[in-house]
Amino acid sequence: MTSDPDAGDVPAVLEVSDLIVAYGQKVVVEGVSFRIEHGEIFGLLGPNGAGKTSTLGAIEGLVTTRAGTVKVDGIETRQRPLDAKARLGVQLQSSSFQPELSIEQIAMLYGGLYGMRLTTVRVRDSLEEIGLGQERGKRFKQLSGGQQQRLALYIATIHDPLLLLLDEPTAGLDPQSRRSLWTRIERMQAAGTSILLTTHSMEEAQAVCDRVAIIDHGKLLTVGTPADLIAKHRDDQRVLAVAHGDVTLEDVFIGLTGSDIRD
Amino acid sequence: MTESASASVIVRPPLGLALRSLLRADAIVLLRSRVATVLSLVLPVAILVVTSFAKAGNRLGDPSLVIGLALTLGLLTSCLLGYSLTLAHDREAGVLQRLRVTPTPTWTIMTSRIAVQVITNLIASIIVVIVGVILHGLTPTFLQYLLVIAVAAVGAAVFLAIGQALVGLVTSAAAINAIGRILFIVLVLLGILGGTGVLGDVVKSVSQWTPVGALMTLFSDVIGTTSWVDNDTYALLACLGYVVVFTFIGVRWFRWETH
Repeated sequence: MTSDPDAGDVPAVLEVSDLIVAYGQKVVVEGVSFRIEHGEIFGLLGPNGAGKTSTLGAIEGLVTTRAGTVKVDGIETRQRPLDAKARLGVQLQSSSFQPELSIEQIAMLYGGLYGMRLTTVRVRDSLEEIGLGQERGKRFKQLSGGQQQRLALYIATIHDPLLLLLDEPTAGLDPQSRRSLWTRIERMQAAGTSILLTTHSMEEAQAVCDRVAIIDHGKLLTVGTPADLIAKHRDDQRVLAVAHGDVTLEDVFIGLTGSDIRD
Repeated sequence: MTESASASVIVRPPLGLALRSLLRADAIVLLRSRVATVLSLVLPVAILVVTSFAKAGNRLGDPSLVIGLALTLGLLTSCLLGYSLTLAHDREAGVLQRLRVTPTPTWTIMTSRIAVQVITNLIASIIVVIVGVILHGLTPTFLQYLLVIAVAAVGAAVFLAIGQALVGLVTSAAAINAIGRILFIVLVLLGILGGTGVLGDVVKSVSQWTPVGALMTLFSDVIGTTSWVDNDTYALLACLGYVVVFTFIGVRWFRWETH
């Protein structure tokens, strides 16, 4: 299987169409559609319980969809889930690895699971590159939050995925770790990787994402570049009611999703 | 990354490589787990040492029964308490979810864990038998050793199936821990104490068909000099029945996540 950009009609890296996810009677994602192009950073924004993680879960194959299709590089995830997963790099909201394994052993394990024949030397070099060379014998739980995040991102990208899925990657990180993460993400984008991320930080989304989608109550409210969304909604009364000065992406977000605190 | 991801050739990883990686990781996990070692080896050996003193041994029965008891308890504890609890903890912590998003078939994830557990149980069983025959002065033939390994494999399958069913039916690791201990006591009481007749004739007759009772019958008969009798066939059929029923429950209701 190849992904040849010169092959004429290049499929989108990700194409989600009319996605419906439900847990029993409760519909948590309702008719969501969007697509991500090659090399694009796409932000999925929404309050708690809006359906972001369920949408990501459907793409990752963790959640059974009730209707709709998800295509990764033109591959329908329900028909060929393993081929689709081979193209995805995933960092879950709370990554957890076997507590008995050292981080070097974790890297060897996931390398194998993604079909990479890694040598110990290569793993050690890679861990050195991400600043975890000294920690290679440690267990995952012995790492700091920033180190855990770096390892999780390394594991997610160990096979050079076509599309990287990051579920709230900056949650709980200090500013230095956060800055370092964005630098790495931008580097990946420059190398051609597409990225789909969820975040609660509107400033980060505005600064980093090429396009964002705002989702609430399982429905996609709006999609576009941060600048386009601000321009499109700057005269919306709900947005103006929450804006202080110049309208920001956060104003658009709160204006469209409401000011109520979600649990 | 050194080249454009979109230009790279992406293929589904070879199954053999994935399975080898899983087996290696699961073996490390099991070897590093002191609880697993204690459960599968130290407890049965302790039983053999204690019962090697003549008086205690006589009270429990002939040496083949004592070795059968030690083997059965080792398998029961390591499979029911060790395997099921590790699986439940990994599920609760999100380890299984992380594995599931890789392009690896889910059956390989479970097969690897079970295979490593069974191999460990077989090795532990061989050690227990060797310790048992030395301490209790038996001289089993090569065929008997082979039969012990075969019965140990059946026993491991029975208790792993029960453990799998427990993890399938109960989501919380804490609840699995508590229920597993209760189940352990019930199975031991029914299979071992019940078999002595202390709990009444009805329990005694039921006892030999319980997982522990059936397995002890098989172990003591293959280690001892008794030839294969109908009771052994029935005990084997009972064990296979437990494997089928509990595996079905464990697979049918198993959930990879806790919520």
